[in-house]
Amino acid sequence: MRYLRLLALFFRTELAYELEYRTNLALELLQMVVIVTTSVAAVLVLFNYTTVLNGWDLGAMLVLLGCFYLVQGFGELVLQPSFEKFMEHVRLGTLDFALLKPASAQFLVTLRHFQVVQLAQMGLGAVVVIAGLPRVSTLGPAEAATFVIALVCGFTLIYALLLALSTFAFWFVRIDNLMAIYWSFLDAGRFPVDIYPGWLRVTLSSAVPIGVAVTVPAQAISGRLDLIGLGLLVVGTIAAFFLASWFWRLGLRSYTGASA
Amino acid sequence: MTDAVVEVRDLRKTFRVTERQEGLAATLRSFVRRQRRDINAVAGITFGIEAGEVVGFLGPNGAGKTTTLKMLSGLLYPTGGEARVLGFVPWRRENAYLQQMTLLMGNRTQLVWDIPAADSFRVLQEIYRVPEDSFRKTVGELTELLELQELVHKPVRNLSLGERMKVEFAAGLIQSPRVAFLDEPTIGLDISMQVRIRRFVAEYNRRTGATILLTSHYMDDVVALCKRVIVIHHGQLLYDGPLADLAERMAPFKVIVATLHDGAAADLSVYGTVVARDEGRITLKVDRQIAPERAARLVNDLGDRLTDISVEDPPIEEVIDRVFSGERVGTAP
Repeated sequence: MRYLRLLALFFRTELAYELEYRTNLALELLQMVVIVTTSVAAVLVLFNYTTVLNGWDLGAMLVLLGCFYLVQGFGELVLQPSFEKFMEHVRLGTLDFALLKPASAQFLVTLRHFQVVQLAQMGLGAVVVIAGLPRVSTLGPAEAATFVIALVCGFTLIYALLLALSTFAFWFVRIDNLMAIYWSFLDAGRFPVDIYPGWLRVTLSSAVPIGVAVTVPAQAISGRLDLIGLGLLVVGTIAAFFLASWFWRLGLRSYTGASA
Repeated sequence: MTDAVVEVRDLRKTFRVTERQEGLAATLRSFVRRQRRDINAVAGITFGIEAGEVVGFLGPNGAGKTTTLKMLSGLLYPTGGEARVLGFVPWRRENAYLQQMTLLMGNRTQLVWDIPAADSFRVLQEIYRVPEDSFRKTVGELTELLELQELVHKPVRNLSLGERMKVEFAAGLIQSPRVAFLDEPTIGLDISMQVRIRRFVAEYNRRTGATILLTSHYMDDVVALCKRVIVIHHGQLLYDGPLADLAERMAPFKVIVATLHDGAAADLSVYGTVVARDEGRITLKVDRQIAPERAARLVNDLGDRLTDISVEDPPIEEVIDRVFSGERVGTAP
């Protein structure tokens, strides 16, 4: 509860900040609308020539694209700004302050900053999902529930991956390039992970779970995810979260020289 | 151990550093086989601090001051020895401990640049779970003492260095800590801002009874705030006691300043070592034991030629400088 209140507080302070730069805000919104519209248009054009792409029809592809913007939007809403600041804290030594607070340092650092405008990207993503839905299947409560679970898992997987990657900052200090690679990988999630050749598919669903984070929720809402698949996703996500958190604490020990 | 707020016994911290010579060949050699060397940043220090004390922690760069503060605040694990602050082992970083202490660093900021400090205060209130009424009271007091009125509503990036430090102080004290570690709190500030920060620290200590351990390069900070100082050098404790006694223990001489009508011509070298001569004002260095007798002789011998005379301890900077450059004569406790 306390952490939720803190999260809301972080959000509010950053919101106030972003609202101060109205022009910038408007431009960012415009940019988002343009990007989402063109990518939807691209999918529509593609499906003028074909009706199905490796088992994904137009409706499913739209849902997938919507999921992509939901996941990417989440990443850019809180993860990207927070992790960038986190690495800056390591470089400047100001991480000390977070470590001396009577609260989880991991929470205080990794969910601290927001780019509130990215909520709009998530909103647009939701619109695209809804637009694609009627073409896919009838949306029952079961699909809706698995979709929500799969999406939360997707967010968590992205978080765990970023956490693990950024932990390297404790040893190498400057790892901006690593993060840039990550964001370009995220782009691959625009398409269903099963259209990629084997090696890339494996990479996109395990080492870089972006494929999973986007594709599985899309499968869930179109009724193509069975309970076993969902179970595997949930277990995998929990494992990834704890593994990444453990790795982060390991890195932290080397930061503080606390390896007594 | 006693019931002191800070208790440190034989605290040690050794850093292992990798060393290599310059040049490519040396770099490659070092890649294969690391040359490691241990640096004793803190080499076994023992002291205690009672509740409400303001203690100055002195030492040249690299003496181990910051390392000690980091161990006491819980950021570093010691290599050996023990420490308790408020009864807690700091490096366990228990929330109950972190709740009651603060570490302020003059060269680092915990405030978020883009947002006004008032918003950061709110976040800190939530993190430390400060109830609304005591939050208002604390912020009100800090605002008054530090004259923050307008500052807290501007984005931190728009504040000057001195203003930022004041706001930083307020941010570090939101939780009304019982122990405050201040690492170079006045570094880089202009004289008037230094004075205000000093006044604030003294007043804060008086009002709240918080225990304060402070490091500073500015002796004025220490002279203004600390009755007691702890001097460390090369990670070892050199002196722990009243500031007033530091000169007596560490410097075996006193300074006699005599001002004469015709001082420009006078030769006073028979009374002591002449260290400075400024028109009629002559500064002599005299052995501590014989200083009163020399001063009396000066008054006696010079009579009317003398317009003023004083016997003083050497400036504290000079004492410290002597200590650190290894010139010390006399014994530390």
